[in-house]
Amino acid sequence: MSITFNRKTWIRLAAIVLILAFSVFLFFIGRQHTVLVDNKTITVNGTEVKALQLVEVQVNKLDALELAARDRDKFEVTGQTHEVKVVYTDSNWEEHVITRKFKIPLMQDMVMILIPALVADAQADQSVWLENYEPPTYAMTAAPAEETVITDDLAGLITEL
Amino acid sequence: MKLQMTNTQKVLRFMANNTVPILFLVICAFGIPLSGYSANYLFSEIIIRIVRNSFLIVSLLIPILAGMGLNFGMTLGAMAGQIGLIFISDWGIVGIPGMLLAMIISTPISILLGWWCGKILNMAKGREMVTSYIIGFFMNGIYQLIVLYGMGAVIPIRSNALVLPRGYGIRNTVNLIGIRKSLDNLLTIRLFGIPIPLATFALITLLCLFVLWFKKTKLGQDMRAVGQDMEVARAAGIRVEHTRIISIIISTVFAGYGMIVYLQNIGTLNTYNSHMQIGMFSVAALLVGGATVAKANIRNVFLGVILFHLMFIVSPMAGKNLIGQAQLGEYFRVFVSYGVITISLVLYEVRKKRDENIAGLELAAEQEVKA
Repeated sequence: MSITFNRKTWIRLAAIVLILAFSVFLFFIGRQHTVLVDNKTITVNGTEVKALQLVEVQVNKLDALELAARDRDKFEVTGQTHEVKVVYTDSNWEEHVITRKFKIPLMQDMVMILIPALVADAQADQSVWLENYEPPTYAMTAAPAEETVITDDLAGLITEL
Repeated sequence: MKLQMTNTQKVLRFMANNTVPILFLVICAFGIPLSGYSANYLFSEIIIRIVRNSFLIVSLLIPILAGMGLNFGMTLGAMAGQIGLIFISDWGIVGIPGMLLAMIISTPISILLGWWCGKILNMAKGREMVTSYIIGFFMNGIYQLIVLYGMGAVIPIRSNALVLPRGYGIRNTVNLIGIRKSLDNLLTIRLFGIPIPLATFALITLLCLFVLWFKKTKLGQDMRAVGQDMEVARAAGIRVEHTRIISIIISTVFAGYGMIVYLQNIGTLNTYNSHMQIGMFSVAALLVGGATVAKANIRNVFLGVILFHLMFIVSPMAGKNLIGQAQLGEYFRVFVSYGVITISLVLYEVRKKRDENIAGLELAAEQEVKA
């Protein structure tokens, strides 16, 4: 079978390419990531950074979360580029607002924003306060019992015979 | 020359032509008061069922136009849609982009399966329905082979939430939380407190408009000609086999999309069973709407969804209130689903014979007048 490259073939090829490009676009904009926001005392470059007493965190336009010291919560976001807004009050009762943009690697399911690190140096590179997060294996491992897969509605009848 | 009919004969003929919808109306008329459900509840449930099922049922119309009967092979498209959903769940693509991506993934699979199914149905002309029904079972085996043994082992699946503990194969149920009601909730208005998912209705309307437009196109007219008489269509230069294959491909692709719309509404994928039930229920709903093996339109789709699913909603509670057992209602609705298909098929044959008789009588009367 020979393929002749006439106008129709080119239009079809262009349509296929367009659909593939659209699929890639959908993949990028629809990919869901979990952004954990963590307010715990941490050590950055050998220096201990204390957790904040109370901080308000908002990612994009999602509902803001209030975190006390040692709290951790999460946001579900889609796409790669996002904005985090941190509002906190210092010891002089002065309110500070930090807004930073960050980018999540495409195939990364979970990232964690270290709030104390971000507050300590608001201009620092995102690698300082944003880290990839892999859930602990025990949380991801399913129950050891093997799940019975029922592929036939009549299977129950057969075993009862 | 038309035979003169009395009013009683006309009423009887109307009833004979609409036996199944009338039967369902009677069942619902008894069932609704017995169930004790409020009109508000029933209306909201019916709206949910319409948005959930209509797309799938509309996908059955085109093969009927081409004279291929009820396409039980729509389960092939449903399988393709499910494969698309498994992939987007694994990749973590959510919302409308997830749905669209699942549709794009399902399309080539549906086209391939539809083409293959159409080829086989061309070899089994006159027995398309039973052939497509059995093809569904056969293809289910291959689907199970791919999903139960191929995915995770040959086809990479990353998510532990999808893969069975043994390391390969997809779990019995897949949580579609990422796309759950993403289309339904895209644009919703409340009418008397009942949410109306406008975006889904718009999508269904678009499909209905497509079907209406398609019937007027050259290909649509070819399908109609093939459906009426294959030999005459062939003599007129229509590529009969090719046209029949295209009708099955279109139906399979739409069935795949319909399955995605259906499952986004439900929010859970029953990996090994969802697609098998859907073919039977869609066909039954269309027949309840007054369609036949040879003739169906959009009115039949919506009437069918409303009547068939109204019975589905009221029968368990009606059974419980009547006998004290909800199980009775469950038996009843399963019995009615299969029963209605049988009745419709029998009635179709009876009607065909009756119409042939009437045509004979008309011809005889015409010849008598001429003589």
